[in-house]
Amino acid sequence: MNQTVNSIRRILLTMVLALGIGALLILAIGENPVDAYVALFKGAFDGKLRLGTTLAGFTPLLLTSIAFAIAAKAGAFNVGVEGEVFLGGITAAYIGINWTFLPRPMLYLACFAGAMAVAAAWAFIPAALRAYYGVNEVCTTILMNTVALYITSYLVSGPMSAGTANAQSLPVTVTLYQFMKPSSANVGIFIAIAVVVLVILMLNKTSWGYKIRTVGFNPSHADYVGINSKRVFISAMMLSGMLGGIAGCIEVLGVHGYFLNNFATGLGSNGMLASLIVKNNMAFTPFMAFFLSVLKSGAMGMQQATGVPKALVDTITAVFIIIATMETAFQFAKKRKAQKKGKEETA
Amino acid sequence: MNEYVVEMKGIVKNFGQVQAVKHGEFNLRKGEIHSLIGENGAGKSTMMKLLYGMYPIDEGEITVKGEAMKTLSPKIAIEHGIGMVHQEFMLVNELTVLENIILGFEPKKGLTIDFDKARKDVEQYINQYNMEVQLDKKVSQISVGEAQRVEIIKTLMRGADIIILDEPTAVLTPQEARRLFEILNNLKQDGKSLVFISHKLNEVMEISDRISVMRQGGYMGTVNKDETSPLDLTKRMIGREVFLNIDKDYSKAGETILKIEDVWIPSQKETSKIRGMSLHVREGEIVGIAGIDGNGQSELVEAITGLRRVEKGRIILNGEDITNKSPRRIRNSGLAHIPEDRNTRGLNRSMSIEENLVAVRLDEAPFTKGILLSREGQDAYSKDMVEQFDIRPTDYHLPTSSLSGGNAQKVVVAREVSMKKKLLVASQPTRGVDIGAIELIRNTLEKAKKEGAGVLLVSAELEEIISLSDRIIVIHEGRITGEMMASEANENNLGLLMMGGSDAGKDGEKAV
Repeated sequence: MNQTVNSIRRILLTMVLALGIGALLILAIGENPVDAYVALFKGAFDGKLRLGTTLAGFTPLLLTSIAFAIAAKAGAFNVGVEGEVFLGGITAAYIGINWTFLPRPMLYLACFAGAMAVAAAWAFIPAALRAYYGVNEVCTTILMNTVALYITSYLVSGPMSAGTANAQSLPVTVTLYQFMKPSSANVGIFIAIAVVVLVILMLNKTSWGYKIRTVGFNPSHADYVGINSKRVFISAMMLSGMLGGIAGCIEVLGVHGYFLNNFATGLGSNGMLASLIVKNNMAFTPFMAFFLSVLKSGAMGMQQATGVPKALVDTITAVFIIIATMETAFQFAKKRKAQKKGKEETA
Repeated sequence: MNEYVVEMKGIVKNFGQVQAVKHGEFNLRKGEIHSLIGENGAGKSTMMKLLYGMYPIDEGEITVKGEAMKTLSPKIAIEHGIGMVHQEFMLVNELTVLENIILGFEPKKGLTIDFDKARKDVEQYINQYNMEVQLDKKVSQISVGEAQRVEIIKTLMRGADIIILDEPTAVLTPQEARRLFEILNNLKQDGKSLVFISHKLNEVMEISDRISVMRQGGYMGTVNKDETSPLDLTKRMIGREVFLNIDKDYSKAGETILKIEDVWIPSQKETSKIRGMSLHVREGEIVGIAGIDGNGQSELVEAITGLRRVEKGRIILNGEDITNKSPRRIRNSGLAHIPEDRNTRGLNRSMSIEENLVAVRLDEAPFTKGILLSREGQDAYSKDMVEQFDIRPTDYHLPTSSLSGGNAQKVVVAREVSMKKKLLVASQPTRGVDIGAIELIRNTLEKAKKEGAGVLLVSAELEEIISLSDRIIVIHEGRITGEMMASEANENNLGLLMMGGSDAGKDGEKAV
C-alpha cells in the first residue's frame, strides 16, 4: 500500500518536473509558460470537439500501452504492437467491407475476432522465434512492423483500394457509434476500458496471470516448478498482439470508418512509452496513456493560441522519459544518503 | 611490547541497515592457530576482512604488532605482514603457478623479470613447509587443494607472518584438509600466527590453540582448545543445544521408486559429463550421493527432474519412463525437488512467500477455483506451512527476497515436502543456511522417508551424507566409484572414493 502511494508520488513529481522544464523552454523562446499551458489544457478539454478528440486519441493508446505492458510482464520487449494494430485494422476493414452476409451484431463480433486472431498470429512469429530459437524479439518485432505496414499499404493501394487519391479502403459497413460529434470519440473507448480491466484482473487473479508473472520474473524457476515457460511466453505475446488488434479494429470501425494508410504510425511507440515510464505497472499505465494523449491533443490548441510550436510537447515527452529513466539514479543517491546517515548515527 | 600481534576491540561494522558486526573482539598471539567460529552470517569473515582492510571499520580499534591502525587498506595490511587466503581464490587461470605467485611484485633483472630468482625464492618456501606445488603448470590445470597452497605461498612471498584463512576446508576433501593442517602446523612452528575461520567443529578442535566464538555479529568469548568440547562450542555458537544426529530406521525400505539405467548426460561444456550411470532409490530410504562439487551431481539431478536432456539411457520413476519428459510431467509422476540453487531456481524472489508456496500446485483444487486463484485456499495453506516449518517472518505476503537464507530454504522445503510425492530429490538442502534451519530440514527429510518417500540426497557435506543416508553412492567425474551402507562409511573411505578410487592413496588429489 505504502509502495503504491510512493509510486504515485514519484510519477506526479516526474510530471511536474517535466512540465517545469518545459516551462523553462517556453520562457527561453520568449513566451509566457502559464499562458501556454492554459492553452494546452484548453486545447485538450475545452469544448466537445476538443475533449472528444482527446478521448479518441486516448483509446488506441490505452490499448497499445497495456499491450506492451502485458508482454513485458512475461519478460518480452514487444516493439511490434504497431504492426499488430495495422494488421488488426486491415483485417477488421476487410471483414467489415466484405462479410455483409452476416447479421450486423455478428459482423461486429467478426471484425473484432478477426482483428484479434490475425494480430495474435502475427505476434506468435517473433514469440516462437524467441522461445524456441533464442532470436531477440526486439529485432524481429521492429522488422516485422515495417513488413506489416507495407502489407497494409499494398492492400489499400491495390486490391482493397477505394480508388481515391489517398490510399484508403472502401468504407466499412458497420461502425462504432460516435457520441461526441463532431469529434471522432466513439464507444470504442468503453470497449477498450473493459478490455484493459479484464486484462489487469486476469494478470492478478488467475493462474494464467500468475504464470505470466512467474515467467517474467524468473523463467528458470518457472520451468523448475513445472510451468512451461516457453508456452506461457508465447501466449503472453499473443495476448499483447490481440490487444493491438483490438486497437486497430476500433480505429477503423470507430474513428475513420475505413482503413486509412499509415493510420497507426506512432501508436505502438507511444504506447510503449506510456508503459515504460511507469515501469510496466498495469495500474498506472492507463493514466500515463491518458496524460500523453492530453499533451498530444492539446498541442495544436497551444500552437494556435500562443506562439509556442506544438513540437514543444514532444520535447516535454522526451524530458519525461529522461527523468523517468533517471529515477534509478535518484534511488541510488537516496540509498547512499541513507547509508551515510546510518553511519553518522552509530558514530 | 604487547603479547598480542593483533588486537581488535569493540568493533562495529554496518552495511546499510544491516549490522554485520555489532560487537567484535579478537586477538592473536604470536605463533598460535586461533580459530574464529560461528554460524553463517555471524560476522566472522567480516571481522577478518576488516582486519585485512577490505572495508573500513565504523567503530572500535585495531592494533597490529603494537601499532594502532588508524586507517587500513589491503596494501597497508600487507605491509604490516598480514596475508589473507580468501574463500574464492584470487588466481589468474591463464598464468602459471609461478607467475601467479610473483604477480604484482616481480623481481626484476634490468627490464625483464628475474624468473630464476623468483623460482629460487618460491622453492625455498615449498621445501621449508612441505607444500607440494607444480610451479610450471597453469592454474587452470591444478587441483583446488594445490591452488590453496599457491595462495598460502603468495602471502608468504609478500612477507606475511599473520595469515588469515577464510573457511579453507570448505572446498577440500578430508584428505586434502589433513594435508592443509600439516602445512598449517609447520607454519605455526616457524612462528607464524594463523587465523582459521570455520564452522566445522571437528576441524577446529583438531587444529586450534584457542577458539573465539561469534554469534549474530557479537563476540561470545574465547576458550583454550583443551578446556572445551564440540558440544560446548555448539552451545556458544547457537545459544542452545541442537540434535543433528538422527536415529535411523532402515527396516521399512520397500519397492524401487526411482531407477536410473545407464544414463549419459551432457553438461554445459562437456558432451558426456555423466557416463553410463545406473542407480536406484527405494521407498522409505535415503540414498546419499557423495562427491566433490562439480563431478556430475548437478547434471544428474537436472536429468532426473527434467531440466536437462539425457543423451541415452533410461530413467524410470514410479514405473513410468520419464526420460526427457517435461518437468511438469515428471512432477505429476511423483517427483518433488529441492534444487541446489534456491535463489535462481528454487524461489521466485520477487514474489511473496505465499505465491512461492503455491507455485507447484497452481491447478489444484483448494488453490484455484476454475481459472481464478483462490485467496482463501492459498491463505489457509500458507498459514499452515509458515507454522509447520517455522518460517519467519510469519507474514506470508512479504516478498521472499526479504528472507534470510535459512527461511528462504524453508519455503522451498515446505513447498516440496508438503506435496507428499513418492520421490524427493534434495540437492544441497542445507547449503548456506543457519544451524537451526539445518536441524529442521534434516528432520523433515527423515520424516518424509518414514512416511514412505524415497529420498535422493546430494550434498557436499560428508557429515550430512553420513548422518542422514541409509545407503551412500560415491561419484567421481561422472561415474560411480563406490557404494556402501552408511553404517560402513566414514570420512576416510568416502574421501578416497570421492577422489576416484581406493588406490588413489596419498597422492589422490592429483587425480582431481
